[in-house]
Amino acid sequence: MKKWIALSAALVAAVALAPSDAAAQANCPVKIGGVLPLTGSMGPITKKIAESAQLAVEHINAGGGVKGCPVQFILRDDQGQPTVGVDAAKYLVEVERVQAFTGTISSGVTGPIISSITAPSKVVQISCCSTATPFTLDGRSQGYFFRTLPTSKTQAVATASEMARRGLKRTAIIYVNTDFGQDMTRFVKLALPKLGGDIVAEVPYTDNQPSYRAEVTKALAEKPESLLLIGFPKDAVTIVREWLSLGGTQKIALNNSMRVKDFVDGVGGRFLNESFGMDNAQVQGPTVDAFNKAFEEKYKYDSKGPGVHTQYDAMMAIALAMNIAKDLTGPSIKDAVRQIHAAGGATVGTGPEEYKKALELIKAGKPIKYHGATGPIEFDVNGDVTGPALVWKIVNGEIVTDHVISIDQMQALFKRIDG
Amino acid sequence: MLAQSLADGILTGAIIALGAIGVSFGLQILKFANFAHSELLTWGAYLALVFVAFAGPGTPTAELSFGWQMMAAMLLAALLTGGLAWLVDLLIFRRLRRMGSHPMSLVFAAFGAALVMRHVVVLIWGHGTHFYTRELQIAIEVLPGVRMLPDQIFILGLAIVIVVALHLYLTYSRTGMAMRAMAESPSLARACGIEVENVIRWTWILSGGLAAMAGVFLGLTPQLHPEMGFSLLLALFAASILGGTGSLAGAVIGGLLVGLAENLSVFLIGSGYKTAMPFLVLLLVLFFRPQGLFGEKS
Amino acid sequence: MIGIFSYLVFFACIVLILGVMTLGLNLQWGYTGLFNAGVVGFYAIGAYAHAILVTAPRPDLIGNFGLPWIVGIAGAMAASALAAWIIGLATIRLRGDYLAIATFGIATTIQLVTLNWDSLTGGAQGLPAIPRPLSTWFGSPLGFNLFYLGLLIAIVGLVYWALERILRSPWGRVLKAIREDETAAIALGKSAQSFRLQAFVLGSTLMGLAGALYVSFIGFVSPFDFLPILTFQIWAMLIVGGSGNNKGALLGALTIWGIWAASGVLIAKLVPPAYAAQGGAVQVILIGLLLVASLLFRPRGLIGEVPVVSRHADD
Repeated sequence: MKKWIALSAALVAAVALAPSDAAAQANCPVKIGGVLPLTGSMGPITKKIAESAQLAVEHINAGGGVKGCPVQFILRDDQGQPTVGVDAAKYLVEVERVQAFTGTISSGVTGPIISSITAPSKVVQISCCSTATPFTLDGRSQGYFFRTLPTSKTQAVATASEMARRGLKRTAIIYVNTDFGQDMTRFVKLALPKLGGDIVAEVPYTDNQPSYRAEVTKALAEKPESLLLIGFPKDAVTIVREWLSLGGTQKIALNNSMRVKDFVDGVGGRFLNESFGMDNAQVQGPTVDAFNKAFEEKYKYDSKGPGVHTQYDAMMAIALAMNIAKDLTGPSIKDAVRQIHAAGGATVGTGPEEYKKALELIKAGKPIKYHGATGPIEFDVNGDVTGPALVWKIVNGEIVTDHVISIDQMQALFKRIDG
Repeated sequence: MLAQSLADGILTGAIIALGAIGVSFGLQILKFANFAHSELLTWGAYLALVFVAFAGPGTPTAELSFGWQMMAAMLLAALLTGGLAWLVDLLIFRRLRRMGSHPMSLVFAAFGAALVMRHVVVLIWGHGTHFYTRELQIAIEVLPGVRMLPDQIFILGLAIVIVVALHLYLTYSRTGMAMRAMAESPSLARACGIEVENVIRWTWILSGGLAAMAGVFLGLTPQLHPEMGFSLLLALFAASILGGTGSLAGAVIGGLLVGLAENLSVFLIGSGYKTAMPFLVLLLVLFFRPQGLFGEKS
Repeated sequence: MIGIFSYLVFFACIVLILGVMTLGLNLQWGYTGLFNAGVVGFYAIGAYAHAILVTAPRPDLIGNFGLPWIVGIAGAMAASALAAWIIGLATIRLRGDYLAIATFGIATTIQLVTLNWDSLTGGAQGLPAIPRPLSTWFGSPLGFNLFYLGLLIAIVGLVYWALERILRSPWGRVLKAIREDETAAIALGKSAQSFRLQAFVLGSTLMGLAGALYVSFIGFVSPFDFLPILTFQIWAMLIVGGSGNNKGALLGALTIWGIWAASGVLIAKLVPPAYAAQGGAVQVILIGLLLVASLLFRPRGLIGEVPVVSRHADD
């Protein structure tokens, strides 16, 4: 018994001790921690997100790192399980002494990490993907939590407005039963009736099931004239195929996650010519193109996918804020995060050259305005970004941009809906 | 709509039934809950994918979205998966049996093996989804208000053929009879001169083969991913226990009931509770018949 | 060094919380032979009961009473005990695997209720801002974690002591007798059913306690805390540590959670970042292999059952 306790303790201690020798001596490299669900049901989505983070680290280091030091990015897997994610985050914060932190995807993992680790330890955390509204609003994060994707409200309202513009009536909503799906549905329900649409069925689905014929049949029972599908590509392929083969309409509205080739090819492009979707933030413009090009050059496939662009911006925001901060402590970095988009600043974009330019400006004490892989990144008081929305559609199996709903138009929509 | 749900439930149930037969064998002949069984479904589906990638799914024949190549791939995958199941037994379970381990040790070894098998699939084929064929069929109205895909009708027919063949095998072949004897009483079977290890080997090969076919059917409607088997695991267990372990008919009826319960529940109580439905039906059945529908009182 | 210490304190807290659950399961399986595969369901009931009782009121939610921590703990134990009693009445007579699948189904249902009943549980958004006891007294996270570790050591010590006493009492001996030979026990005039029910309720109460301890340590609860994987982890802890031995249960919690955490660190160190996705898969494969290996090489667990009351107990 004693032997085993000693052995286990030695094992844990040995692993825990291993990195500290190098870390304790010098301030270089600057460490950024990350926790993402590399395995588990989110694994397929996370692969590209992790690659995007890696690309950002390469750009940061090629462009001069942080305060003269190269950046070391340490990524851990949360397996989609909160306890595992919390443990990994604690290890990164305490043993690796990371100065800032990115992650994670599932709000069920992000929440406990904020409340038990990053907020009490005063470490800045920027997420690419967690949408649950309470994080930023209830003050629990003490201002240390940011996210680079707009809240579900932007996307939901934009979706409702586009559905109304296209004159879609009698809509059935099929949504994934998570915080993201529940949130989106709540806002669409709020917005659509005020803009002239109506909802005839709302069907939640649990992800990772082999078949969704029951859900689809239920949605079809009301004879809807259009479908709004909120979910993730893998299950969405199954749902849309079953929807179409059971005689459902091809007028399908989709959320941002479905803006991927896998989804379009999985369903079959020829069935999606009347479909359209949303993406939040301004996923176009020169800085976006530069990112897409860099990503495609490195990984040999396109950069489309949920969280890919926002993760890059999360990493860049962390690195830029660290350079602006007077020292690498949590409170200083936290205050610097909002200065990456300062009034009157010079625009800096994506890629190593632009990053280098940003560092020179920061050194000279000049303000910057970061335009990232999702367009301009400006955090509001809650640590959220708001932005314009983009409507995309599918033409002959290719995803193309239809038009952009500007920030002003979005604000007008919000006013109409909030009354 | 109700008719459509019934049809959908039967389709889902047919696939679950094929997988549940293996689980039922595991519980009754091997005497432990094999949590790795779902991974055999996944492996079967991916092994068939290898052949399909090699030979193509075949030109769509008649109304179907695939040709004979797909069926050949399924048979090859069934053979290989049977072999894989036997290999896992050789490496892990047989050694545990010989050590006289508690059945719970086998259950958790199976859980460990499942983790390994599932993530080896991720390493080889990646996280993403794969398709045998990207054809999309439009359902035909087979009865008023009931639409089914030609592929699904074919799958349903084939599943029935497989179950009947299995029934004949268990009833008339020497090994089949030995398997049933083992299920009744291992010590008695041994006393009667049945080679226990031989029976166990055939049990694994059969379970693996059936799992592979269920996996291919799953993959046809419509895609493959590394968690495809795992996401069905609980339905498989619910089905095999619902029917009462050890009887082929029990596993099949259990599978159908699980499929129907899932599909009908969406109408009765909403889709939020769909995944719990098989268990609630199971609880109800067990409350009145603790040994399952077709199980014998112990 | 302080960082490593701080991490180890946190790690120890998680291990002890998982240890409380493993002790509960050991009472059910190790001593009574009840195959409860719904561990996470009782854990969830305890967690949510505590969260709902102690969290400050919010206008959009029913419940949330803002009560003191200790009331939350008591309420969590009471709620999980009550749930276990009702569930036990319906299922306790089922044999082995059947009880397992039934309890598993109940745990799945409980998780779906936490997900779908959003006016009580906050739905998928979860309940944030669960007060952590006395956390305002401590300036640093380490201070709070040290305090909480002390609290947990006291609670686990108390639970351990109480369990050992109970199991050595006549009541505990009856449990083992039922596990070993139910017919004989019944012949001796013991009502097997009611003893099994009592053990089921008591074990589940400990799981509920663990749930409350977890959420008041983390400060957040959501349905994603209660996925079936946790039930498997707790079982692995008990089987690897040594079923039928409370020391083994605690050691198993340390070992399995140690493997889970250490393998993640190891992979992050050894696998180049470009292969992070594959590294994640390799980590899980490693966990699976270690689990299988430990069963092959230590089939009775790290510490097996000690024959205290009966020569036949050592099976």
